[in-house]
Amino acid sequence: MKVQVKNLRKEFGKTVAVDDISFSFDAGHIFGFVGPNGAGKTTTMRIISTIEEATQGDVLLNGVSVCEEPELARRAVGYVPDTLPAHGDITVHEYLDFYARAYGLRGKKRTQAVEAIEEFTNVAGIREKHLKALSKGMKQRVSLGRALVYDPDVLVLDEPAAGLDPRARVELRELLMLLAERKKAILISSHILTELTEICNGVVIIERGKILETGTIDEVIKKSTPRRTVAIRLLEGNHHQNPQLLKELLQTPFVENARDVAKEIHFELTGDESAACDILGGLIAKKYKIIEFRQTKANLEDIFMNVTKGGVQ
Amino acid sequence: MNIAGIKSHFTNWREWEFNPIVIKELRQAVRSWAVTGMLMLFLTVLFITSLVFLVGQSVRVNEDVQLGSSMFQAFVIILAGASMMFIPLYIGIRVAAERGESNHDLLYVSTLSPGRIIRGKLYCGAYMALLFFSACMPFMAFTNLLRGVDLPSVFFILLFLFLVVCAANQIAIFLACLPLSRPFKILLALAGLFFSFWLIGGLIVGAIGMMRLGLGSMMANRNFWMTALTVLVAGLIVTGLFYVLSVALISPPSANRARLPRLYITVIWLLGGLLNFAWVIQVKEPTAIMAWTLATFFILIFALLVVVSNADELGPRVRRDIPANRLKRRLVFPFFNGAASGLLWVSSLAAITFILTQLVLTFGDTWYPTHVGMSGANREDFTLCTSTTIFYALAYALTARFIHRQFFPKRPPQIAGLLTILLVGLVAIGPGIVLFFLNQLSWKSIDGLQLGNMFNIFSIHEPSQRWSHFYVAGGWLALMLVINAGWFLKQWRNFQPPPGSCSKD
Repeated sequence: MKVQVKNLRKEFGKTVAVDDISFSFDAGHIFGFVGPNGAGKTTTMRIISTIEEATQGDVLLNGVSVCEEPELARRAVGYVPDTLPAHGDITVHEYLDFYARAYGLRGKKRTQAVEAIEEFTNVAGIREKHLKALSKGMKQRVSLGRALVYDPDVLVLDEPAAGLDPRARVELRELLMLLAERKKAILISSHILTELTEICNGVVIIERGKILETGTIDEVIKKSTPRRTVAIRLLEGNHHQNPQLLKELLQTPFVENARDVAKEIHFELTGDESAACDILGGLIAKKYKIIEFRQTKANLEDIFMNVTKGGVQ
Repeated sequence: MNIAGIKSHFTNWREWEFNPIVIKELRQAVRSWAVTGMLMLFLTVLFITSLVFLVGQSVRVNEDVQLGSSMFQAFVIILAGASMMFIPLYIGIRVAAERGESNHDLLYVSTLSPGRIIRGKLYCGAYMALLFFSACMPFMAFTNLLRGVDLPSVFFILLFLFLVVCAANQIAIFLACLPLSRPFKILLALAGLFFSFWLIGGLIVGAIGMMRLGLGSMMANRNFWMTALTVLVAGLIVTGLFYVLSVALISPPSANRARLPRLYITVIWLLGGLLNFAWVIQVKEPTAIMAWTLATFFILIFALLVVVSNADELGPRVRRDIPANRLKRRLVFPFFNGAASGLLWVSSLAAITFILTQLVLTFGDTWYPTHVGMSGANREDFTLCTSTTIFYALAYALTARFIHRQFFPKRPPQIAGLLTILLVGLVAIGPGIVLFFLNQLSWKSIDGLQLGNMFNIFSIHEPSQRWSHFYVAGGWLALMLVINAGWFLKQWRNFQPPPGSCSKD
């Protein structure tokens, strides 16, 4: 399954919610969709899920257009909204069963699908509980189960981790990784960027309806932070050497912006990896008791803060 | 569904399953305190009523030979009250809750079609009505053991009542589907409740009247079944109209929502016209065709309010359905979204209806004897009233559309519908308000000539003044047609499939 978003544009009156955005991701990939509030994430996700119609452009799900054949495309997409709508007087099992019926699953096939999803999303123990009585985390599980019950190839999750406790977040993350292993193409939006860094293969950063950065996480990081930051930590009890080390580094080639950061020395390496190797060798030769010499990775949060301006429309 | 699909549907009958909405709704209903509580209350009231009647009979000196009939009437009142008030309200509230903007999962995130969703809700209402009727059935059957009621009457009245409850459910679903805010929906629900009080009263009077007339004996008469069938068909048509309107309302905004209601009304209009024409020939009397004209104009005037509120721009999904063939494109234009296409559709139906009615009235004298035909004065009155009314309605709508385009082009097109209502209200009430402040408001002034007021046509005393209304309405409409011609032609020309698309022919 390949999801291709092509020159998508959505206008609400005079407001351009999504402005000519294009990106793609494949089966087995988890793609993060990041942007400030009002950036156009939910609108894009609703267009991919055939809930909203694009003003221009298209989304192809394995070649099936969501604009031309929304009914066919809808069968391939499972949409998980940020909140599970309130349904009174219905149990978890009945709710999932209803969606299985609504998507045309019949007889034994339906029973098996519902049971399998209840097991997978770990809601089997609460299947007779009323939806209204569930916690936020459990509702998210049910919502995910609802989207998965007809086994779609693409999953679109809009802020699934919002309001979840740490345990529920970890469990959700594990579920998503399992789904990716099952060759689902997953698009997930979240404001918890550290978590996205851990699970996503790729990312789209969007602001005011326009894409700011897109690609694999490594590509985006490389593009946004061309210089590598290296951290040096001396053995405990040798921190008194830090000022001396700092002075030394400032005179070393390929080193810029050396600074003391919480008992560590950070500097920007302008050279390649062999330059880093030479620097390390030189410091060891000068009897510095180095316990750690590592490249600090910029995370998605740093990149997000760098590339976005926080603008809304 | 094509023929092969229909064949496969019937050959695989073992795999048939209930509409998922029905199953979900019934599961929710049986768990709901509202339904369970209402059913318990209903049974308690039935039980106490039976007890009161039976205890009352036991202390009476003379035997009541109509005890069965009296009890049955009481049960009909309770059943009508419970089912007509509660079930439509319950179904309506549930649809309204699921229709909310934030609640997009049921109506959108599934492959259920809008028609299937509405049918599911309707069937659920029917099943709930069956539940209440079944609960009442043992009590009603018991009345048959007493005197004064026959089984055919019981079944006929129950069937009649059941169908009315189903129609009321459909109307409740329609009201719940209207894109209104919660306060407006609550007001609408209250209005619906008052309307159902009135309907329940009428139903009870009708049912008791039918019993007193002796339904059992009337059933042998052909006229009875003809009347019953006519009422049934009229009820089905009205229910069907609300069904297609509900389906259109919950269809995605990007779909061609206008097609189904406009097609339905056109087909019903055509069939009704043919049936009424046949009836005119059969009974040799023109009333039926006049009734058809009045019913058509009544529906078209309401339709005008909706079509004038349509947007001009067609979404890409709708445009892809526009035929590439020029002739086909012109033919299907009135059945696509848009104010211009809607106005053309209303005008066409009104014009054809008017012309056909005039033909029947003018040349009908050769079919039916002169003594049952209309006098020249009556015919002129009918012609003037109908034509002037539709002229005024179209003029109001076109004026509102013009005002919207000129002064509120950035506001949503629904403003045009609101402006139409305001315009009608202004010309109808405005002169009265002015006269009131001038202290000159009187019955005479209300009955007097108020040009521009559509309702005044029916209240003026001097028939010759209808001509003045006719000229004013005609002139106003002509002026609006000229003013709106450019806009209409633009819409007509823009009605094209998107460039490069493989549109359907």
